[in-house]
Amino acid sequence: MLEEKIFLKNDLDKSMDNYEFIGLKKSLGMNSENIVKKITDSGLRGRGGAGFPTGKKWEFALAQESDVKFLICNADEGEPGTFKDRFLLENMPFKVLEGIIIAAYAVKANFGYIYIRGEYSKAIEIFEKTIKDAYHMGLLGKNILGSNFNFELKLIKGAGAYVCGDETSLINSIEGKRGFSRIKPPYPVQRGLYDKPTIVNNVETLATVAEIMKYDDNVYAKLGTEKSRGTKLVSISGDVKLPDVYEIEFGSGTIKDIVELAGGERGELNFVVPGGLATSVLKSDELDVLYTYEDLEEAGSSVGSGGMIVVSKEHDLVDILLNVSDFFVKETCGTCFPCREGNRNIKEILLKLKRKGYKEEYKKTIGELKEAILLAARCGFGQSSVNFIYSVLDKFFHEEVI
Amino acid sequence: MKIYINNREYDMPQDISILEAVKKANIKIPTLCYVEGMEPYGGCRLCVVEVEGSKTLVPSCAVKISEGMKIKTHSEKVRKVRRTIMQLIVASHGISCELNCLTCPKATSCELKTIAEEIGVTKINILPVEKMLPTDFSSYSIVREPTKCIVCGRCIRACSNIQSVNIFTFANRGPNTIVTTFMNEGMGNVDCTNCGQCVMNCPTGALHEVYHIDGVWNAINDPEKVVVVQTAPAVRVALGEPFGMEPGTISTGKMVAALRLLGFDKVFDTNFTADLTIVEEGTEFIHRFKEGGKLPLFTSCSPGWIKFIEHNYPEFLPHLSTAKSPQQMFGAVAKHYYAKKLGVPKENLVVVSIMPCTAKKYEMNRPELVGDVDYVLTTRELAKMIKESGIDFKNLPDEKYDDPFGITTGAAAIFGTSGGVMEAALRTAYEILTGKELEKLDFVGVRGLNKVKEAEVEINGKKIKVAVVNTLGAARKLLEKMRNGEVEYHFVEFMACPGGCIGGGGQPIPTTEEVLIKRMEAIYEIDYDSKLRKSHENPAVKKLYEEFLKEPHSEIAHHLLHTHYVARN
Repeated sequence: MLEEKIFLKNDLDKSMDNYEFIGLKKSLGMNSENIVKKITDSGLRGRGGAGFPTGKKWEFALAQESDVKFLICNADEGEPGTFKDRFLLENMPFKVLEGIIIAAYAVKANFGYIYIRGEYSKAIEIFEKTIKDAYHMGLLGKNILGSNFNFELKLIKGAGAYVCGDETSLINSIEGKRGFSRIKPPYPVQRGLYDKPTIVNNVETLATVAEIMKYDDNVYAKLGTEKSRGTKLVSISGDVKLPDVYEIEFGSGTIKDIVELAGGERGELNFVVPGGLATSVLKSDELDVLYTYEDLEEAGSSVGSGGMIVVSKEHDLVDILLNVSDFFVKETCGTCFPCREGNRNIKEILLKLKRKGYKEEYKKTIGELKEAILLAARCGFGQSSVNFIYSVLDKFFHEEVI
Repeated sequence: MKIYINNREYDMPQDISILEAVKKANIKIPTLCYVEGMEPYGGCRLCVVEVEGSKTLVPSCAVKISEGMKIKTHSEKVRKVRRTIMQLIVASHGISCELNCLTCPKATSCELKTIAEEIGVTKINILPVEKMLPTDFSSYSIVREPTKCIVCGRCIRACSNIQSVNIFTFANRGPNTIVTTFMNEGMGNVDCTNCGQCVMNCPTGALHEVYHIDGVWNAINDPEKVVVVQTAPAVRVALGEPFGMEPGTISTGKMVAALRLLGFDKVFDTNFTADLTIVEEGTEFIHRFKEGGKLPLFTSCSPGWIKFIEHNYPEFLPHLSTAKSPQQMFGAVAKHYYAKKLGVPKENLVVVSIMPCTAKKYEMNRPELVGDVDYVLTTRELAKMIKESGIDFKNLPDEKYDDPFGITTGAAAIFGTSGGVMEAALRTAYEILTGKELEKLDFVGVRGLNKVKEAEVEINGKKIKVAVVNTLGAARKLLEKMRNGEVEYHFVEFMACPGGCIGGGGQPIPTTEEVLIKRMEAIYEIDYDSKLRKSHENPAVKKLYEEFLKEPHSEIAHHLLHTHYVARN
């Protein structure tokens, strides 16, 4: 049976006095290029969902010449079924803070924000105290830990829009504008917050950075597979016996093994969403997929944000579809036409399906809409908003059986 | 830079977008939210293309070309996606039996229709969306029908980026996103200047002017009424466009003939009162200049500009010329002088003006000015009336304006383009101040489409610094500079719309930069071809002073031809 591989979760923070900030201290003794190289070598990929190589992002950021650069920690976790960042913010805030400071130092940013989802009141409370204490202890502000590095960090509470997890919407939100995505290019790394180069990293990414920098050799790179290095926090919910956040080494087990690790399914398993509602589902007979970026991609799905949802057969599929569709219709920002109108129309079709029963043409129309949204939407939200719905339709709905 | 478009090699300049490159290769990519000259917005996603190496399609408006880039503009994938998006747009556009294309104000200039055809959408598989949003009738100038709005944000960007007026905003989220005014107060209750640039930029019929067509028909059909019409300088170079004529075709004679055929009793020219404005405003400038009055003097004929300064820069109001605009001067002269001359009671003389402008509808309703003019028709509305009457505009023989308000000068004609008022004023001010004849009439420095133009003129050994500004965005910038003491002028001309009245909010759509240039050239052509090119030499104006007004700035001239302003902050 699969065992949890503990790398990131190795020591839950007790108090800041006991936390040693080893990774940060080591980093402050290194130059930016070496830190970026170490992160690049570790193979760490962004844990927000898109999976962009962290080292590469930092390289771009470091290459930007600007009087001011910003570092933003994206803690606007909002994907249904995803709660691993909340676990980190509530249980390991010092490690998150440590990662933020290291990242800022590495890309030469002197100002930073942590943007926390407004609904995470406990995490906000904890992190507010963490920042206050950090200033007190010389971890933030001028000449951090006696170095010549200065860094100011501020906490921003999100106002409750899922799309603000998209980095450009998040930047607009910090600037006090509507949480609409921005047109890309330019990318935030080129022109982000207040038109300055801005690096946006996910909570888990930054916490992992702190841990990677702790070790002299690159222990992280030795974990996982060639293409999917290290470990990943997986938040499992739905019809399992022990829903929780688990740390899984890439390639150490299959989706089925992870479900087992979480105590096994409750009721008769129907399908699993491996990475949050922006990813495609895997049917009960498709769960032998190894948990890696490449294997999941080959199976037509994705690691996503790590929000694994297990769904048993006792739930009505049409209700689930309507529920999910409703979420995407409510949360699309409304700027780009394919996402705004496409999602609205998908919901209309699903309502028809609910009233009149399934017809093959529904799948065809939703398929066309999916294609347009996936290929032409302006941000990651839109591009992934139809994956779940279409995959459920595709895998479970056929005219002859319904 | 070498790139490939649809498997063909092209050599392109650096630092241009895919959209621009493709245009240079004579291929058209459909766009809806994109507006030339403004930052790309990337909302409609119709301009997406396939770029080798990219997983998703790429918005051609926002992405710059790079060395060796391989672009496919109309691949199967691209065409399919475009068709789906276009279907979604059409479905969201509120088309029903009540709201169909036949009755839409933009029926002949609808971009949705054009693009749907270009993309090849022949049927809509998607249910139309009923938005059930009320129409905004709160403004004297502009009507907003949110049901037809496709939320492309072009009005918002025109209002903010070009005009810096910012009356529009997005509200709500997702499919409920709408364009609205501050607190949904309606266009008549916010700081709208009525300039109509939102109407010019709207691709659908969601924004249009308040129609005066019915009122005008009623007046014409009323046997009790004597209906006179005046035509603004910028209308004559644009009116041909809705009839398929080239932009910049001078159709003054056909316009006069058409107006007579419509049933107007007298057809007059606003140019006449443009000359009168110059005499009054020029005299005002000379007074202020000689006697140390408030300088710089600001022109006051653009009603969009007037409302803008009233809302935003009331401390500068004393700089405004008190002269009424040519439209209002015409109304006052017609009602108080011409009616008497005809022996018609004032109430039975109806004054209609044909304007390139939506703000003129607001201007005629201002409490200080109400009563001078009864109806304002935009260039577009006049075209509709001519069409409705079955008049074959293109083939009409030219006719001449009626006397006495048909005698005008080239100086008045150039009022229609940015810099014209200034040039006309300088021609007059120079001759009056120096007592000498001006050798070179053309002040080329104030011409052209630049948003701010500056010139220096030497009069009696003194250097007079003038500036000419078009668009309210540029006006704001200049006023800020003036507030900070960074610039000093003696005389400044302000026009609310790009290029001045030729780009006014009541002009035919589309009004692109190319169209503006053609209209502008036509305006200067009219000036060159005029026998009289200085306002103070207009014999009819001279006669009006002799018979009625006595002299510039006389008591009666003050009473009828001047006005005052209101701080609205």
